[in-house]
Amino acid sequence: MALGFELKGESMSEIPLVQLLTPEGERVTHPEYESTLGKDEVFGMHRDMTIIRRLCNEATSLQRQGQLALWAPLQGQEAAQIGAGRALEPMDFTFPSYREHGIAWCRGIPPENWLRLFRAVDHGGWDPQQYRHSVPTIVIGNQALNAVGYAMGVQRDGAEEATMVFFGDGATSEGDVNEAFVWAGSFDAPIVFFVQNNQWAISEPTVRQSKIPLYRRAEGFGFPGIRVDGNDVLAVHEVTKRALAHAREGGGPTLIEAFTYRMGAHTTSDDPTRYRIDAEVEVWKHRDPLERVKAYLVRQHQVPASEFDATIAEADALAAKLRADVLAMDSPDPLSIFEFAYADVHPLIEEGKRDMIELGVGGGAH
Amino acid sequence: MSTREFLLPDVGEGLTEAEIVVWKVAVGDTIALNQPLIDIETAKATVELPSPYAGVVTKLHGEVGDVVPVGAPLIEIEVGGSDAAPPASSAESATAPQGEGRTAVLVGYGVATDEGAPTRHRRRGGAVTTPVAAPPAPPVPVTPSTNLLAPRSTPPVRLYAKQHGIDIGSIRGTGRDGLITRSDVERVVSGGTTRVASVPAAPTGVTRFVGHELAPWESGPKEERIPVRGVLRSMADAMVQSAFTAPHAAAWVRVDATKSVELLSALKARPSMANVRLSPLTLVALALCDAARHFPGINSRFDDTAGEVIVRRSVALGIAADTPRGLIVPNIKDADALDLVGMANALTTLVEKARAGTTTPNEMIGTTLTITNVGPFGIDGAMPILPPGTSAIVAVGQIAKAPWVVDDEVVVRHVVEIAMSFDHRCIDGALASSVLAHVGRFLNHPAPALLAR
Amino acid sequence: MAQMTMAKALNEGLRRALEDNPKVLLMGEDIGKLGGVFRVTDGLQKDFGEDRIIDSPLAESGIVGTAVGLAIRGYRPVCEIQFDGFVYPAFDQIVSQVAKLHSRSHGVYKMAMVIRIPFGGQIGAIEHHSESPEGYFAHTAGLRVVSPTTPNDAYWMIQQAITHDDPIIFCEPKCRYWEKGEVDLDRPPRGLFDAHVAREGSDVTVVAYGPSVRTAVRAAEAASAEGRSVEVIDARSIAPLDLPPMVASVQKTGRLVVVAEAPANASVASEIVARLTEECFYSLRAPALRVTGYHTPYPPSRVEEEYLPNIDRILDAVDRVMGFES
Repeated sequence: MALGFELKGESMSEIPLVQLLTPEGERVTHPEYESTLGKDEVFGMHRDMTIIRRLCNEATSLQRQGQLALWAPLQGQEAAQIGAGRALEPMDFTFPSYREHGIAWCRGIPPENWLRLFRAVDHGGWDPQQYRHSVPTIVIGNQALNAVGYAMGVQRDGAEEATMVFFGDGATSEGDVNEAFVWAGSFDAPIVFFVQNNQWAISEPTVRQSKIPLYRRAEGFGFPGIRVDGNDVLAVHEVTKRALAHAREGGGPTLIEAFTYRMGAHTTSDDPTRYRIDAEVEVWKHRDPLERVKAYLVRQHQVPASEFDATIAEADALAAKLRADVLAMDSPDPLSIFEFAYADVHPLIEEGKRDMIELGVGGGAH
Repeated sequence: MSTREFLLPDVGEGLTEAEIVVWKVAVGDTIALNQPLIDIETAKATVELPSPYAGVVTKLHGEVGDVVPVGAPLIEIEVGGSDAAPPASSAESATAPQGEGRTAVLVGYGVATDEGAPTRHRRRGGAVTTPVAAPPAPPVPVTPSTNLLAPRSTPPVRLYAKQHGIDIGSIRGTGRDGLITRSDVERVVSGGTTRVASVPAAPTGVTRFVGHELAPWESGPKEERIPVRGVLRSMADAMVQSAFTAPHAAAWVRVDATKSVELLSALKARPSMANVRLSPLTLVALALCDAARHFPGINSRFDDTAGEVIVRRSVALGIAADTPRGLIVPNIKDADALDLVGMANALTTLVEKARAGTTTPNEMIGTTLTITNVGPFGIDGAMPILPPGTSAIVAVGQIAKAPWVVDDEVVVRHVVEIAMSFDHRCIDGALASSVLAHVGRFLNHPAPALLAR
Repeated sequence: MAQMTMAKALNEGLRRALEDNPKVLLMGEDIGKLGGVFRVTDGLQKDFGEDRIIDSPLAESGIVGTAVGLAIRGYRPVCEIQFDGFVYPAFDQIVSQVAKLHSRSHGVYKMAMVIRIPFGGQIGAIEHHSESPEGYFAHTAGLRVVSPTTPNDAYWMIQQAITHDDPIIFCEPKCRYWEKGEVDLDRPPRGLFDAHVAREGSDVTVVAYGPSVRTAVRAAEAASAEGRSVEVIDARSIAPLDLPPMVASVQKTGRLVVVAEAPANASVASEIVARLTEECFYSLRAPALRVTGYHTPYPPSRVEEEYLPNIDRILDAVDRVMGFES
């Protein structure tokens, strides 16, 4: 069975990538990157990761209990998303796929809003302009082109804002993503392509998508690419911060490959036991993003257990609130399907609304 | 404190059922929200189900190895105790949010399962029907494919027919392939008062013969050959069979039918009779049926094969009808049971169906007595040929004003001639004469005869 | 005879096709090791190998575009598009190459390929997983479009489609994947492009295809309880339409209702109405009506019941055509 990478010995030192914190929680240096984060900021990121992992687990439970149509878990990718999310400036704009719950958290979107899509009561869930985080994109890779276009708009406005777009290793095969790279290169778009290489596109390993490491694709398109340990929140944060600044300052696009692992299934409809082996998952358990940060905080900063307990309690409380919010999430009024189909009045919309009303549907409690 | 049931949900893996692999809780256990309850085996994997409730386990449904269908109860939990777990909202349900069973298809909530007979829930105009409130009407049996086609016409013609209250399906189309044209409808519309139980007034030139449209004298071929088929064949065969089997004899009577004419006028003027087509034929039919009740022998037939004369005590009254396809003799079953209005309506229907070509096979067989109405042609009488299987046929001539002797004075009366052909093997002259006289008396003085019924 | 789900029937049909002709190839995302997200290709890679059952990179345009090349080379590719909402990257290849190469090459190239698409709603899914794109393909000359609605049809139609020399868009109603039915393993029920009278009746003709056929039959059952006899025709072939049985039916009943999930504007349903009105003009007692999804993007599936043609809306159309003359 093909794996997404070659397991050479126990360490990843043979794959060049940026790392500042080892899986064991030891700080290491890198010739080009350095973390200047203090204890509180690092603890804050641990808190972020704890919360989104807890909320993600709660969502999985809700799906297993029939309260969500589907859930796409981000187990294992917490550091990639929190590290990137906390590197954003308020005016930067982000374009997610459908798994960026950690980015949504960083952008301040209430958790129940992320679940509206999965509860099948909404195709979006929040005001993208208010949160500067676009609505989810389920069609793989579409958002890459959209994000580059947005960045070209920022360019023409002369604004000092970066745009960051998220997609996975599978998406890099889609035409849209490659075309996005072409455009970004040709126009020096102020964009960061944040690729979470979690090794699997449903059942297909990354080798099926690309013969070479993904970060090296960027060179072919004319801009820098960099691979970072996606489970190292410090490294992800530094690399992303620099790439965003580079874009904001007119330096053009960067491709960041966050090398991580999809610990769970593609979605709650998927069964990974059909195509990957447990041994591989075990290896990545030892690279857990939360464990290494906790180890570091305890060892280097003597953070007491009570503070971690407080984080867990906070996460549990947020999970309980999420549960209550989801259970209270009602189906929309059927008439609402007509509301935003068009910006302007349309005869077929008027006809449809009339028809639905005459049939006694909608307009009231459903 | 209340007991909640957790039903086996669809876990999005193509599940219609699952096997219980291991229980992770036992009855009496106090459990927390999301605590693992059970491992179930789906088609290819084992899935752990977390508890949707916090509380105390009161019942486990099923043992290790049992196969449970989706939607069936798995476990019962008593909730609302002093647990620290947050209380569930009252809107919570352990089943799929739509509150109905769903069959998993690997993605999404799944397909709604169709339970029970399908019914309508809402109608246009706001009436919300409550399903299963009333017992369902007996279902319409599915009609097997027949060769019957929907009437062929065009929208403007359909509208025209609708505006005049005419069922387009009752009109015989003369257009190509039976297309119902505007003039077909117009004919029926203006036909108005001629939609009576008698054949319409004869035109001065008949272009139809033996069911075919004849080209005019000047332009048609000198010798035209028409194949003997269909209705023509039937008529010819019946006539031959009858004429060369039954010795026909005839009798006739002239009747002063003035009182019948006056009665019909008076009845027609009544509002209650507005939709009933009354005619002399109605009274003749009633008279003949009445005669059969008094003289059952007239309603018989001579069965040579069995060597029997069969007397029937129910009249299937045949009426000779001229249609575009030729002469047919459909009958009215149990005509002797009909009263004035019933007979009038039956005759109207019979003629309309004959004209439209929708007479059923059943209506064509079993005739016991027949009337042929030659009056509309201005003819006084005829010696018709018996339809096979009958012993008597009555021909009714025109009712016309003629001089008549009343109280030794010559006056003008409505006079009609009734003739009868009969099978002399079983009907003798005395019987035939008695029947004719009875019919004559009925037409001469109808009111007592009608009231006597 | 065997009882099986539609997904299993497709699996068995594909297996037979692979056994019958070594040139048959399958390609698509996750069809190999995983056996397809709906398990339609379950077990096939194990038996026929990775060269014939290909796990494709994540690019629909790539799947179809490379299939074109394989067809030119003499193979018979069977492409799987994972979900209806994801076919659009491949639309260019389908319309520009698959539909036109036979013509462009004066018959030298045979685009003998099948593109399988799970389509339609009624499964409570999230966005892009409940689409009805068949209209775009029905509209494109050079393509044929069919949809099986029973396991028996699925088993035979997939084999018939693979052996056919024209490119066929094979629309599989995903809400029916798990319904079981009898499959006759010995003889096909009818030709690939034949319509089928799913339920006999005499008052109204309802023509439907794909996921709507079962809804139409259930509506006919409800109509029967209300004293009306509804005939349901499963079109089976969306393009070309098998008109004679539909014509015979409308000539018998004089009334036509067409049911489909795809919104009515410029749709397959509209084409059925136009053709049958032309052929049966003199028989129609009422205008033909379409009962379809409304003219909006497919809604969040918690309200899909009210968006799609359901029993109430179909019966409402039956009311209207039956009441037209009075």
